Amino acid sequence: MSAPAGVGIGWRPEIAGFVAELPGLRFVEVVAESLPPSGPLPPGLAALRGRGVTVVPHGVRLSLGGAEPVDPARVDHLAAVAELVDAPLVSEHIAFVRAGGLEAGHLLPLPRSRAAVDAVCANVARVQERLPVPIALEPIAALFDWPDDELDEAAFLTEILDRSGALLLLDIANVHANARNRNTDPLDLLDRLPLERVAYVHVAGGAEHGGFYHDTHTDPVPPPVLELIGELCARRRPPALLLERDGGYPPAQALRAELDAIAAASGFPVVT
Amino acid sequence: MTGSDAAHRADDLAARQAELVAALVAGGPLPPGFAPAPLAAARAALLRKRAGEVARHWPLLAAALGAEWPARFSAWAADRPTRGSLRDGWDFARALRDEGALPPLGAEELAVREAGARYDGHRPPRPRRLPAWGRVRGAVAVQLAGRVRLLRPAPRASLDTAGRDR
Repeated sequence: MSAPAGVGIGWRPEIAGFVAELPGLRFVEVVAESLPPSGPLPPGLAALRGRGVTVVPHGVRLSLGGAEPVDPARVDHLAAVAELVDAPLVSEHIAFVRAGGLEAGHLLPLPRSRAAVDAVCANVARVQERLPVPIALEPIAALFDWPDDELDEAAFLTEILDRSGALLLLDIANVHANARNRNTDPLDLLDRLPLERVAYVHVAGGAEHGGFYHDTHTDPVPPPVLELIGELCARRRPPALLLERDGGYPPAQALRAELDAIAAASGFPVVT
Repeated sequence: MTGSDAAHRADDLAARQAELVAALVAGGPLPPGFAPAPLAAARAALLRKRAGEVARHWPLLAAALGAEWPARFSAWAADRPTRGSLRDGWDFARALRDEGALPPLGAEELAVREAGARYDGHRPPRPRRLPAWGRVRGAVAVQLAGRVRLLRPAPRASLDTAGRDR
């Protein structure tokens, strides 16, 4: 199947009807853990596949950044799902989600240390051994940092990408969230990341709570995130951008407007 | 760098990741060096996400608590690590029942679940094979051949002036 191209949207059962009716859509993502490894696909997703829409499995629970080796059963599931949807690539996060026998319930940041780079690269290598397709790694939005970071964000990410040979799934909303919460310049990060390695870009909404910007995926995409899309594309336009919405689903008209805004900010054709 | 240095660093990372997760989801102490306010924000965000996920598995229980759901669930869940959304909601509903604070809709949902599966609070729920009842605060559900029906709804007590179920 062809690589991600243009403006896409994260396929979720709650908005399957909306996604099915997007005439120009060529690319969706699906949460890998939500699919049965030997099928069948949910009918809405199968219909998109039938139309030739590219489907990228997006893992959220591998815990690639865990100090322990990644669970082979989880890797096998991701590989099976990639074959099931005939995916051109899969994606996962530079994060950990469990440790010491406890599930955190969400993506947690790693210390930006040599030890963490080693842990991620070892796990990515274990995954790459079993995967039939390339993997793209996504830097997360972090509400906190570890006290002993040795590398800054750009150096940390570049080191991981160089050593693992993985592609980059850049989440532009996470770039905004981290810059806002760390009081750093998002453009400095864009200037220093290897943008030629970007497989596609995530775009999502968020909200301010208690002095922090939260990457909620349940709120509208704020203007600064759309402006960062423009900044990114001015440096190097990614092959594709994908809207992620994970709850608080708005009326179809509002979702269409967000997809159109992403198309306008990136110069890709509208898909609505 | 020697191999044993790398192994030591990996052990250290594993221990520190475990400390951090325990602090975020199991009421563990703040690991040294972390700024408290951002970690507290992360802890609250994890609880909000978890409350939303449990609400999807226990829609009537969550609806019964309405706007209070996130805060009530989070207060209960703050130092209890998740055992999955199904069991989290089940344990929380039983805790409310034991306090006499389970609203009728939640009692009905719990009665249906109790009739359908055996859950001892320690191991994952297992579907019941034999016919069974579930009775919670006056709500009665019955399971026959794997089908569960609510036979009797929980009584709706009179509401107090705050609109709360007594």
